[in-house]
Amino acid sequence: MKNNILRLTDILYLACIWISGASIFVMSLIIPWGIFTRYVLGTGSQWPEPISILLMVVFTFFGAAAAYRAGAHIAVAMVTERLPAGPKRLMAGLVDVLMLSVAVFMTVYGSKLCMETWGQNIGEIPWMPVGATYLPVPLGGFITLIFILEHMVLGYQGQRDVVTFDHEKIEGGAL
Amino acid sequence: MDAFVLLGSFLGLMIIGMPVAYALGLSALIGAWWIDIPFDAIMISIAAGVNKFSLLAIPFFVLAGAIMAEGGMSRRLVAFASVLVGFVRGGLALVNILASTFFGAISGSSMADTASIGSVLIPEMEKKGYPRDFATAVTVSGSVQAILIPPSHNAVIYSLAAGGSVSIAALFLAGVLPGLLLGLTLAVMCLFIARKRDFPKGKRIPMKEALLICVDALWGLMTMVIILGGILSGIFTATESAAIAVIWAFFVTMCIYRDYKWNELPKLVHRTVKTLAIVMILIGFAASFGYIMTLMQIPQQITGLFTSISDNKYAVLMMINVLLLVLGTLMDMAPLILIMTPILLPVVTSIGVDPVHFGMIMMVNLGMGLITPPVGGVLFVGAAVAKLPIERVVKALYPFFGALLLVLMAVTYIPALSLWLPAALLK
Repeated sequence: MKNNILRLTDILYLACIWISGASIFVMSLIIPWGIFTRYVLGTGSQWPEPISILLMVVFTFFGAAAAYRAGAHIAVAMVTERLPAGPKRLMAGLVDVLMLSVAVFMTVYGSKLCMETWGQNIGEIPWMPVGATYLPVPLGGFITLIFILEHMVLGYQGQRDVVTFDHEKIEGGAL
Repeated sequence: MDAFVLLGSFLGLMIIGMPVAYALGLSALIGAWWIDIPFDAIMISIAAGVNKFSLLAIPFFVLAGAIMAEGGMSRRLVAFASVLVGFVRGGLALVNILASTFFGAISGSSMADTASIGSVLIPEMEKKGYPRDFATAVTVSGSVQAILIPPSHNAVIYSLAAGGSVSIAALFLAGVLPGLLLGLTLAVMCLFIARKRDFPKGKRIPMKEALLICVDALWGLMTMVIILGGILSGIFTATESAAIAVIWAFFVTMCIYRDYKWNELPKLVHRTVKTLAIVMILIGFAASFGYIMTLMQIPQQITGLFTSISDNKYAVLMMINVLLLVLGTLMDMAPLILIMTPILLPVVTSIGVDPVHFGMIMMVNLGMGLITPPVGGVLFVGAAVAKLPIERVVKALYPFFGALLLVLMAVTYIPALSLWLPAALLK
């Protein structure tokens, strides 16, 4: 049972990484395409800008969910790491519950925002409802929720192979 | 009382170890509940916070820097710096600092700078007779240049945190002279130390070889020409120039340098996604925190507090410097820019400080925070690369802290250092 769940969350984790990675890849191609159409073709495409912003929102919320599982988020550990084991566990449990509340907020209020704005359209791309551009918020929130539950039930999974396969270089190298 | 609920809950959540981004979001929710604002408004402010075209510049600049840093750029920049300054006494220390100056021109990340330049130069310096803790201290303190020298994604974050009213181009140009001043100050200090402790001289590199090294490095350094040239000439926006920089970085590392293997790309993507997404979501949640802060009129109250202590510009700036330095030792740069800019910018503009100038003051302060304990990301990376205990690196860093403080004072009290270049080039 435990292994099956972990296998599923591994897949979910990799999906988040690949969705985010693909978003940033496509983003870095279509912005230059916009420049190309403006200066070379002289047509000036309108769609690269809103599409890139959408991809950035996708990147942010799926990537942040994955980063939660990898334990990559910035947190202040100065106080908690000096505590004895008992209170330390208590704090960690409390953080899990509070994280859960934020993830629930993202899922519920994010969905609400999507539904309320589904009828409106983006000016530059008429077929795209505004609500669709907010979809990554509740989806990312929901995936974070799953990872938090996994953390509460099965413990920290940031040491798994799928999460650490890039670790031979110094972590945090990009920032 | 309002301020106490919002800031107090944020502080409490941080202390128990909640990730900063989510702690910002949750305390915004608590604040909204306290002053009867519907949670929908918080959701809208988060969505609006990440829905900006100018925000795109951040992932692009970071990605371009990461591609270059891992694609063999640092080795070439070190070689280039050796050609220019390697032959004097203490030459390798100067090479280290100058390589960081160049690195700053392709990436805004001190951490990437320390990791990649440090792994090339710390062993090399030790082999040539420099103490390892000194080599690490030079690497770590030199890497602060990356934050100042354009392109700097932290400058983009500042521009966003300032409400988008401060031009990214102006911030980029403003960072040039403070960045160079920092490099120069460190270099002069290293020359003195080298003479006193009799560090070795390097060899002069033969002309023909030197030329090849220069050409090799120029491919990478073109990145900055593309970025600044594009923005200043008005051909690209900052975001567009950042996207072009990604393509250029990719082209140079994969087609010209060819150090990086294609099958290692997933690792690069994985690392970049993790490190970038946490900054991006931080920006989103910080927007909701800032929204509640504005509704509670906290920035006005803080401005009142500061000006009630003193209305002297220099005294207020000194207080802010102390505050930022202390906060910087405890927390990372991006969250501090996002939280402190909306609070402090009204204070400094009320006493007549230019927002661009204040941006530079903030960058130097928080950059110093990255290399000071107890929490200093760059310091940790430096110690890890050198395989030294953090305390030993900190001890070796003492004289360097002095040099950095000197630069901080110059940047704070000589506004022209930051403002002259943007005024001269941006009409």
